[in-house]
Amino acid sequence: MIWKRTMLLFLLTITGLAFETSVFGRATLVGTKPELLLLVVVALGMCEGPAVGATAGFVMGLSTDLVLQLPAGVSALTFTLIGYFIGRLRAQVTTTSAWLPIVMVCSSTFAGVLFYAAFNRALGEHFGIFTVLRAAGLSALYNGLLTPFVFPIVRALAARLRPPPSEVLH
Amino acid sequence: MFDRSRRLRVLLIVLVIASLTIITIDYRSKGNGPFEKIGHVALTILSPIQHGLVTIFRPIGNFFAGFTEVPSLRAHVSQLQRQNALLRSGQNTVADLQRENESLRRLLELRDRYNLDTLTAQVIGVSPSNFERTVFIDRGSRSGVKKDMPVVSGDGLIGRVIRVGPSTSEILLLIDRTSSVASRIAPSGETGLLEGDGSDVPHLELFNPDAAVAVGDRVVTSGYDQGLYPPGIPIGTVVAAPPARSNLSRVVTIQPYVDFSSLDYVLLVISARAPRPARSP
Repeated sequence: MIWKRTMLLFLLTITGLAFETSVFGRATLVGTKPELLLLVVVALGMCEGPAVGATAGFVMGLSTDLVLQLPAGVSALTFTLIGYFIGRLRAQVTTTSAWLPIVMVCSSTFAGVLFYAAFNRALGEHFGIFTVLRAAGLSALYNGLLTPFVFPIVRALAARLRPPPSEVLH
Repeated sequence: MFDRSRRLRVLLIVLVIASLTIITIDYRSKGNGPFEKIGHVALTILSPIQHGLVTIFRPIGNFFAGFTEVPSLRAHVSQLQRQNALLRSGQNTVADLQRENESLRRLLELRDRYNLDTLTAQVIGVSPSNFERTVFIDRGSRSGVKKDMPVVSGDGLIGRVIRVGPSTSEILLLIDRTSSVASRIAPSGETGLLEGDGSDVPHLELFNPDAAVAVGDRVVTSGYDQGLYPPGIPIGTVVAAPPARSNLSRVVTIQPYVDFSSLDYVLLVISARAPRPARSP
Protein backbone atom coordinates (compact mmCIF):
# COMPACT_ATOMS: atom_id res chain seq x y z
CA MET A 1 0.00 0.00 0.00
CA ILE A 2 2.85 2.37 0.83
CA TRP A 3 4.28 2.27 -2.68
CA LYS A 4 0.87 3.04 -4.11
CA ARG A 5 0.61 6.11 -1.89
CA THR A 6 4.15 7.12 -2.89
CA MET A 7 3.15 6.78 -6.52
CA LEU A 8 0.01 8.86 -5.88
CA LEU A 9 2.12 11.57 -4.27
CA PHE A 10 4.53 11.52 -7.22
CA LEU A 11 1.71 11.71 -9.77
CA LEU A 12 -0.09 14.49 -7.92
CA THR A 13 3.17 16.45 -7.74
CA ILE A 14 4.04 16.06 -11.42
CA THR A 15 0.48 16.72 -12.58
CA GLY A 16 0.08 19.70 -10.27
CA LEU A 17 3.37 21.24 -11.39
CA ALA A 18 2.55 20.67 -15.05
CA PHE A 19 -0.87 22.30 -14.66
CA GLU A 20 0.60 25.17 -12.64
CA THR A 21 3.19 25.98 -15.28
CA SER A 22 1.08 25.41 -18.39
CA VAL A 23 -2.61 26.13 -17.78
CA PHE A 24 -2.63 28.27 -14.65
CA GLY A 25 0.54 30.13 -15.63
CA ARG A 26 -1.64 31.90 -18.21
CA ALA A 27 -5.07 31.80 -16.58
CA THR A 28 -4.38 34.42 -13.93
CA LEU A 29 -6.76 36.23 -11.61
CA VAL A 30 -5.98 39.91 -12.15
CA GLY A 31 -2.38 38.93 -12.87
CA THR A 32 -2.07 36.50 -9.95
CA LYS A 33 -1.61 32.74 -10.24
CA PRO A 34 -3.09 30.12 -7.93
CA GLU A 35 -1.00 28.02 -5.53
CA LEU A 36 -2.27 24.72 -6.90
CA LEU A 37 0.18 22.43 -5.10
CA LEU A 38 -0.47 24.19 -1.81
CA LEU A 39 -4.16 23.51 -2.38
CA VAL A 40 -3.38 19.81 -2.89
CA VAL A 41 -1.27 19.77 0.29
CA VAL A 42 -4.13 21.34 2.29
CA ALA A 43 -6.58 18.83 0.83
CA LEU A 44 -4.30 15.91 1.77
CA GLY A 45 -3.71 17.35 5.25
CA MET A 46 -7.45 17.72 5.82
CA CYS A 47 -8.39 14.29 4.48
CA GLU A 48 -5.43 12.18 5.58
CA GLY A 49 -4.10 13.88 8.68
CA PRO A 50 -0.95 15.79 9.67
CA ALA A 51 1.57 13.06 8.81
CA VAL A 52 0.46 12.79 5.19
CA GLY A 53 -0.05 16.57 5.04
CA ALA A 54 3.49 17.30 6.24
CA THR A 55 5.10 14.64 4.03
CA ALA A 56 3.16 15.73 0.95
CA GLY A 57 4.02 19.34 1.79
CA PHE A 58 7.72 18.56 1.93
CA VAL A 59 7.74 16.57 -1.34
CA MET A 60 5.58 19.03 -3.28
CA GLY A 61 7.29 22.10 -1.86
CA LEU A 62 10.76 20.78 -2.64
CA SER A 63 9.65 19.79 -6.16
CA THR A 64 8.34 23.31 -6.70
CA ASP A 65 11.63 24.80 -5.54
CA LEU A 66 13.74 22.51 -7.72
CA VAL A 67 11.69 22.69 -10.90
CA LEU A 68 11.16 26.44 -10.76
CA GLN A 69 14.65 27.21 -9.45
CA LEU A 70 13.25 29.04 -6.46
CA PRO A 71 15.38 29.27 -3.30
CA ALA A 72 15.60 25.54 -2.48
CA GLY A 73 13.83 24.45 0.68
CA VAL A 74 11.68 27.52 1.34
CA SER A 75 8.55 26.19 -0.34
CA ALA A 76 9.31 22.78 1.21
CA LEU A 77 9.35 24.32 4.69
CA THR A 78 6.24 26.41 4.02
CA PHE A 79 4.22 23.51 2.59
CA THR A 80 5.40 21.10 5.33
CA LEU A 81 4.21 23.42 8.10
CA ILE A 82 0.93 24.16 6.32
CA GLY A 83 0.24 20.45 5.71
CA TYR A 84 1.03 19.56 9.31
CA PHE A 85 -0.96 22.32 10.98
CA ILE A 86 -3.96 21.91 8.68
CA GLY A 87 -3.99 18.19 9.55
CA ARG A 88 -3.86 19.01 13.27
CA LEU A 89 -6.45 21.74 12.95
CA ARG A 90 -8.85 19.53 11.00
CA ALA A 91 -8.77 16.97 13.82
CA GLN A 92 -9.91 19.68 16.26
CA VAL A 93 -12.74 21.01 14.09
CA THR A 94 -16.01 19.11 14.36
CA THR A 95 -18.09 20.93 11.77
CA THR A 96 -18.95 19.13 8.54
CA SER A 97 -19.81 22.29 6.64
CA ALA A 98 -19.10 22.19 2.92
CA TRP A 99 -17.49 25.62 3.31
CA LEU A 100 -14.80 24.30 5.65
CA PRO A 101 -12.36 23.18 2.89
CA ILE A 102 -12.74 26.53 1.12
CA VAL A 103 -12.13 28.49 4.32
CA MET A 104 -9.12 26.36 5.26
CA VAL A 105 -7.66 26.54 1.75
CA CYS A 106 -8.09 30.33 1.58
CA SER A 107 -6.65 31.01 5.02
CA SER A 108 -3.73 28.59 4.64
CA THR A 109 -2.89 29.94 1.17
CA PHE A 110 -2.88 33.50 2.51
CA ALA A 111 -0.70 32.47 5.48
CA GLY A 112 1.55 30.34 3.26
CA VAL A 113 2.29 33.13 0.77
CA LEU A 114 3.02 35.56 3.63
CA PHE A 115 5.32 33.04 5.34
CA TYR A 116 7.11 32.30 2.05
CA ALA A 117 7.67 35.99 1.35
CA ALA A 118 8.77 36.72 4.94
CA PHE A 119 11.25 33.82 4.95
CA ASN A 120 12.69 34.88 1.59
CA ARG A 121 13.02 38.41 2.89
CA ALA A 122 15.09 37.05 5.76
CA LEU A 123 17.34 35.43 3.11
CA GLY A 124 17.85 38.77 1.39
CA GLU A 125 15.08 38.78 -1.24
CA HIS A 126 13.09 42.00 -1.38
CA PHE A 127 9.37 41.95 -2.08
CA GLY A 128 7.22 45.05 -1.75
CA ILE A 129 4.66 44.75 1.04
CA PHE A 130 1.83 45.72 -1.32
CA THR A 131 3.00 43.12 -3.86
CA VAL A 132 3.05 40.42 -1.19
CA LEU A 133 -0.35 41.29 0.28
CA ARG A 134 -1.89 41.49 -3.18
CA ALA A 135 -0.38 38.13 -4.21
CA ALA A 136 -1.44 36.51 -0.91
CA GLY A 137 -5.01 37.82 -1.11
CA LEU A 138 -5.60 37.03 -4.76
CA SER A 139 -3.96 33.60 -4.73
CA ALA A 140 -6.03 32.75 -1.61
CA LEU A 141 -9.16 33.81 -3.48
CA TYR A 142 -8.11 31.89 -6.60
CA ASN A 143 -7.36 28.75 -4.57
CA GLY A 144 -10.75 29.13 -2.88
CA LEU A 145 -12.43 29.19 -6.29
CA LEU A 146 -10.53 26.06 -7.37
CA THR A 147 -11.24 24.14 -4.16
CA PRO A 148 -14.67 22.75 -5.20
CA PHE A 149 -13.02 21.21 -8.26
CA VAL A 150 -9.67 20.03 -6.86
CA PHE A 151 -10.57 19.01 -3.30
CA PRO A 152 -13.03 16.19 -4.21
CA ILE A 153 -10.54 14.69 -6.68
CA VAL A 154 -7.70 14.64 -4.16
CA ARG A 155 -9.99 13.29 -1.43
CA ALA A 156 -11.28 10.49 -3.67
CA LEU A 157 -7.78 9.49 -4.83
CA ALA A 158 -6.40 9.50 -1.29
CA ALA A 159 -9.37 7.52 0.07
CA ARG A 160 -8.84 4.74 -2.48
CA LEU A 161 -5.29 4.23 -1.28
CA ARG A 162 -5.90 4.77 2.43
CA PRO A 163 -3.97 2.25 4.59
CA PRO A 164 -5.56 0.30 7.48
CA PRO A 165 -6.19 2.42 10.63
CA SER A 166 -3.36 0.70 12.52
CA GLU A 167 -0.80 2.16 10.12
CA VAL A 168 -2.08 5.73 10.28
CA LEU A 169 -0.36 8.47 12.30
CA HIS A 170 -2.93 10.88 13.74
CA MET B 1 -1.74 7.19 21.33
CA PHE B 2 1.30 8.78 23.00
CA ASP B 3 3.61 6.85 20.70
CA ARG B 4 1.74 8.03 17.61
CA SER B 5 1.79 11.62 18.75
CA ARG B 6 5.51 11.39 19.43
CA ARG B 7 6.19 9.81 16.03
CA LEU B 8 4.22 12.59 14.43
CA ARG B 9 6.27 15.25 16.18
CA VAL B 10 9.48 13.47 15.21
CA LEU B 11 8.33 13.38 11.58
CA LEU B 12 7.62 17.12 11.63
CA ILE B 13 11.00 17.90 13.22
CA VAL B 14 12.83 15.73 10.67
CA LEU B 15 11.08 17.42 7.75
CA VAL B 16 11.68 20.91 9.13
CA ILE B 17 15.36 20.15 9.77
CA ALA B 18 15.66 18.68 6.26
CA SER B 19 14.10 21.86 4.79
CA LEU B 20 16.39 24.13 6.81
CA THR B 21 19.44 22.06 5.79
CA ILE B 22 18.47 22.36 2.11
CA ILE B 23 17.93 26.11 2.52
CA THR B 24 21.36 26.47 4.13
CA ILE B 25 23.15 24.42 1.47
CA ASP B 26 21.42 26.28 -1.35
CA TYR B 27 22.03 29.68 0.23
CA ARG B 28 25.73 28.98 0.72
CA SER B 29 26.22 27.52 -2.76
CA LYS B 30 24.56 30.61 -4.34
CA GLY B 31 22.79 28.68 -7.07
CA ASN B 32 25.69 26.42 -8.05
CA GLY B 33 24.99 23.58 -5.67
CA PRO B 34 23.62 20.07 -6.20
CA PHE B 35 20.01 21.28 -6.34
CA GLU B 36 20.67 23.05 -9.65
CA LYS B 37 21.40 19.71 -11.35
CA ILE B 38 18.45 17.99 -9.70
CA GLY B 39 16.26 20.85 -10.94
CA HIS B 40 17.47 20.27 -14.51
CA VAL B 41 16.49 16.60 -14.31
CA ALA B 42 13.09 17.46 -12.82
CA LEU B 43 12.46 20.06 -15.51
CA THR B 44 13.41 17.56 -18.22
CA ILE B 45 10.87 15.08 -16.83
CA LEU B 46 8.23 17.80 -16.69
CA SER B 47 8.72 19.37 -20.11
CA PRO B 48 6.97 16.71 -22.27
CA ILE B 49 3.96 16.85 -19.94
CA GLN B 50 3.99 20.66 -20.09
CA HIS B 51 4.17 20.52 -23.87
CA GLY B 52 1.20 18.16 -24.06
CA LEU B 53 -0.84 20.16 -21.58
CA VAL B 54 -0.15 23.43 -23.38
CA THR B 55 -1.36 21.90 -26.63
CA ILE B 56 -4.49 20.48 -25.04
CA PHE B 57 -5.39 23.21 -22.59
CA ARG B 58 -4.23 26.42 -24.29
CA PRO B 59 -7.75 27.24 -25.58
CA ILE B 60 -9.19 26.53 -22.12
CA GLY B 61 -6.40 28.50 -20.44
CA ASN B 62 -7.00 31.42 -22.77
CA PHE B 63 -10.72 31.26 -22.03
CA PHE B 64 -10.09 31.38 -18.28
CA ALA B 65 -7.47 34.06 -18.78
CA GLY B 66 -10.10 36.22 -20.43
CA PHE B 67 -12.69 35.30 -17.81
CA THR B 68 -10.51 35.99 -14.80
CA GLU B 69 -9.08 39.21 -16.15
CA VAL B 70 -12.35 40.99 -16.76
CA PRO B 71 -11.39 43.95 -14.52
CA SER B 72 -8.11 44.53 -16.35
CA LEU B 73 -9.81 43.97 -19.70
CA ARG B 74 -12.38 46.64 -18.82
CA ALA B 75 -9.55 49.04 -18.06
CA HIS B 76 -7.91 48.02 -21.31
CA VAL B 77 -11.13 48.63 -23.26
CA SER B 78 -11.48 52.03 -21.63
CA GLN B 79 -7.90 52.88 -22.57
CA LEU B 80 -8.47 51.71 -26.15
CA GLN B 81 -11.62 53.82 -26.38
CA ARG B 82 -9.66 56.88 -25.31
CA GLN B 83 -6.96 56.09 -27.86
CA ASN B 84 -9.63 55.56 -30.50
CA ALA B 85 -11.10 58.97 -29.77
CA LEU B 86 -7.69 60.52 -30.17
CA LEU B 87 -7.12 58.73 -33.46
CA ARG B 88 -10.53 59.78 -34.74
CA SER B 89 -9.80 63.39 -34.09
CA GLY B 90 -6.73 63.01 -36.21
CA GLN B 91 -4.25 63.59 -33.41
CA ASN B 92 -1.14 61.45 -33.22
CA THR B 93 -2.18 59.40 -36.25
CA VAL B 94 0.85 60.15 -38.33
CA ALA B 95 3.21 59.97 -35.37
CA ASP B 96 1.81 56.60 -34.28
CA LEU B 97 2.11 55.11 -37.75
CA GLN B 98 5.62 56.43 -38.16
CA ARG B 99 6.61 55.03 -34.81
CA GLU B 100 5.08 51.65 -35.57
CA ASN B 101 6.63 51.59 -39.01
CA GLU B 102 9.99 52.53 -37.59
CA SER B 103 9.72 49.81 -34.95
CA LEU B 104 8.87 47.11 -37.45
CA ARG B 105 11.49 48.28 -39.89
CA ARG B 106 14.18 48.20 -37.22
CA LEU B 107 13.16 44.71 -36.17
CA LEU B 108 13.22 43.41 -39.71
CA GLU B 109 16.63 44.95 -40.23
CA LEU B 110 17.96 43.52 -36.99
CA ARG B 111 18.88 40.14 -38.35
CA ASP B 112 20.60 41.57 -41.39
CA ARG B 113 22.33 44.45 -39.61
CA TYR B 114 23.81 42.33 -36.85
CA ASN B 115 24.05 39.09 -38.78
CA LEU B 116 21.90 37.43 -36.14
CA ASP B 117 21.67 33.71 -35.92
CA THR B 118 18.33 32.95 -34.36
CA LEU B 119 16.51 29.88 -33.17
CA THR B 120 12.74 29.63 -32.93
CA ALA B 121 11.19 28.20 -29.79
CA GLN B 122 7.71 27.80 -28.39
CA VAL B 123 6.70 28.87 -24.92
CA ILE B 124 5.46 25.75 -23.12
CA GLY B 125 5.05 27.02 -19.61
CA VAL B 126 4.91 30.00 -17.32
CA SER B 127 6.30 30.16 -13.80
CA PRO B 128 3.40 29.67 -11.37
CA SER B 129 5.17 31.79 -8.75
CA ASN B 130 3.61 35.17 -8.13
CA PHE B 131 7.04 36.58 -7.35
CA GLU B 132 8.95 35.36 -10.41
CA ARG B 133 8.32 36.37 -14.03
CA THR B 134 9.80 33.55 -16.11
CA VAL B 135 8.62 31.29 -18.93
CA PHE B 136 9.74 27.89 -20.17
CA ILE B 137 10.51 27.11 -23.82
CA ASP B 138 10.77 23.83 -25.71
CA ARG B 139 14.44 24.21 -26.69
CA GLY B 140 17.49 23.31 -24.65
CA SER B 141 21.17 22.53 -24.92
CA ARG B 142 20.48 19.87 -27.57
CA SER B 143 19.29 22.68 -29.85
CA GLY B 144 22.26 24.89 -29.02
CA VAL B 145 20.65 27.08 -26.35
CA LYS B 146 23.09 28.61 -23.89
CA LYS B 147 22.70 30.58 -20.70
CA ASP B 148 22.32 34.38 -21.09
CA MET B 149 21.17 34.20 -24.72
CA PRO B 150 18.91 37.18 -25.49
CA VAL B 151 15.32 36.34 -26.39
CA VAL B 152 13.14 38.48 -28.66
CA SER B 153 9.72 38.31 -30.24
CA GLY B 154 8.29 40.12 -33.22
CA ASP B 155 7.43 43.02 -30.92
CA GLY B 156 10.76 43.45 -29.18
CA LEU B 157 12.98 42.25 -26.35
CA ILE B 158 11.59 39.57 -24.04
CA GLY B 159 14.52 38.77 -21.76
CA ARG B 160 17.33 36.26 -21.52
CA VAL B 161 17.93 32.57 -20.90
CA ILE B 162 18.74 31.85 -17.26
CA ARG B 163 18.61 28.06 -17.16
CA VAL B 164 19.22 25.43 -19.82
CA GLY B 165 18.17 21.81 -19.70
CA PRO B 166 18.67 19.22 -22.45
CA SER B 167 15.32 19.92 -24.11
CA THR B 168 13.93 22.92 -22.31
CA SER B 169 15.08 26.29 -21.01
CA GLU B 170 13.87 29.01 -18.70
CA ILE B 171 13.64 32.65 -19.78
CA LEU B 172 13.85 35.53 -17.33
CA LEU B 173 11.41 38.16 -18.58
CA LEU B 174 12.64 41.74 -18.56
CA ILE B 175 9.78 42.65 -16.18
CA ASP B 176 11.07 40.28 -13.46
CA ARG B 177 12.27 42.13 -10.39
CA THR B 178 15.77 40.63 -10.78
CA SER B 179 16.10 41.65 -14.43
CA SER B 180 18.16 44.62 -15.55
CA VAL B 181 18.84 45.63 -19.13
CA ALA B 182 21.15 48.39 -20.31
CA SER B 183 18.84 50.61 -22.36
CA ARG B 184 18.74 53.82 -24.34
CA ILE B 185 16.10 56.42 -25.11
CA ALA B 186 16.08 56.25 -28.91
CA PRO B 187 15.46 59.93 -29.79
CA SER B 188 17.95 61.44 -27.34
CA GLY B 189 20.45 58.62 -26.91
CA GLU B 190 20.31 58.93 -23.11
CA THR B 191 21.30 55.65 -21.47
CA GLY B 192 20.19 53.93 -18.29
CA LEU B 193 19.30 50.65 -16.66
CA LEU B 194 15.87 49.13 -17.25
CA GLU B 195 14.81 47.27 -14.12
CA GLY B 196 11.74 45.13 -13.60
CA ASP B 197 9.73 45.10 -10.42
CA GLY B 198 7.41 42.18 -11.14
CA SER B 199 4.68 44.40 -12.56
CA ASP B 200 3.98 44.80 -16.28
CA VAL B 201 5.64 48.22 -16.44
CA PRO B 202 9.39 48.25 -15.69
CA HIS B 203 11.34 51.37 -14.77
CA LEU B 204 14.26 52.92 -16.58
CA GLU B 205 16.80 54.64 -14.36
CA LEU B 206 18.61 57.18 -16.53
CA PHE B 207 22.19 58.00 -15.62
CA ASN B 208 21.70 61.66 -16.50
CA PRO B 209 19.15 63.35 -14.17
CA ASP B 210 18.73 66.17 -16.71
CA ALA B 211 18.04 63.81 -19.60
CA ALA B 212 15.50 65.04 -22.12
CA VAL B 213 12.71 62.45 -22.08
CA ALA B 214 9.13 62.73 -23.26
CA VAL B 215 6.16 60.42 -22.96
CA GLY B 216 6.03 58.32 -26.12
CA ASP B 217 9.81 58.14 -26.61
CA ARG B 218 11.00 54.73 -27.78
CA VAL B 219 13.38 52.72 -25.59
CA VAL B 220 15.85 50.24 -27.08
CA THR B 221 18.72 48.13 -25.79
CA SER B 222 21.95 50.07 -25.55
CA GLY B 223 24.26 47.10 -25.93
CA TYR B 224 26.36 48.11 -22.91
CA ASP B 225 25.23 45.33 -20.62
CA GLN B 226 28.57 43.49 -20.95
CA GLY B 227 27.57 42.69 -24.49
CA LEU B 228 24.62 40.59 -23.37
CA TYR B 229 21.99 42.22 -25.59
CA PRO B 230 22.65 43.47 -29.12
CA PRO B 231 22.08 47.22 -29.35
CA GLY B 232 18.95 48.66 -30.96
CA ILE B 233 16.41 45.97 -30.04
CA PRO B 234 13.07 47.67 -29.28
CA ILE B 235 11.91 47.42 -25.66
CA GLY B 236 8.97 49.78 -25.25
CA THR B 237 7.84 53.37 -24.92
CA VAL B 238 8.02 55.89 -22.10
CA VAL B 239 4.59 56.20 -20.45
CA ALA B 240 5.53 58.38 -17.48
CA ALA B 241 8.48 60.72 -17.16
CA PRO B 242 8.32 62.55 -13.83
CA PRO B 243 11.07 65.05 -12.95
CA ALA B 244 14.23 63.72 -11.33
CA ARG B 245 13.94 63.15 -7.56
CA SER B 246 17.67 63.44 -7.01
CA ASN B 247 20.61 64.92 -8.86
CA LEU B 248 22.05 61.46 -9.50
CA SER B 249 19.52 59.84 -11.79
CA ARG B 250 16.03 60.08 -13.27
CA VAL B 251 13.49 57.26 -13.26
CA VAL B 252 10.90 56.91 -16.01
CA THR B 253 8.23 54.24 -16.54
CA ILE B 254 8.25 52.07 -19.65
CA GLN B 255 5.42 50.19 -21.32
CA PRO B 256 7.05 47.22 -23.10
CA TYR B 257 6.04 46.45 -26.67
CA VAL B 258 5.77 42.76 -25.80
CA ASP B 259 2.58 41.45 -24.22
CA PHE B 260 4.10 39.04 -21.70
CA SER B 261 0.80 37.38 -20.91
CA SER B 262 0.38 35.96 -24.41
CA LEU B 263 3.83 34.79 -25.45
CA ASP B 264 3.81 31.95 -27.94
CA TYR B 265 6.76 31.73 -30.33
CA VAL B 266 10.03 33.48 -29.52
CA LEU B 267 13.44 33.94 -31.13
CA LEU B 268 16.65 33.11 -29.32
CA VAL B 269 19.62 35.12 -30.52
CA ILE B 270 22.38 32.56 -30.95
CA SER B 271 25.07 34.93 -32.15
CA ALA B 272 24.60 38.63 -31.73
CA ARG B 273 28.03 40.10 -32.08
CA ALA B 274 29.09 39.32 -35.61
CA PRO B 275 27.94 42.43 -37.46
CA ARG B 276 28.25 42.41 -41.21
CA PRO B 277 30.51 45.03 -42.74
CA ALA B 278 28.68 48.26 -43.53
CA ARG B 279 27.49 48.45 -47.12
CA SER B 280 29.08 51.12 -49.25
CA PRO B 281 26.59 53.79 -50.35
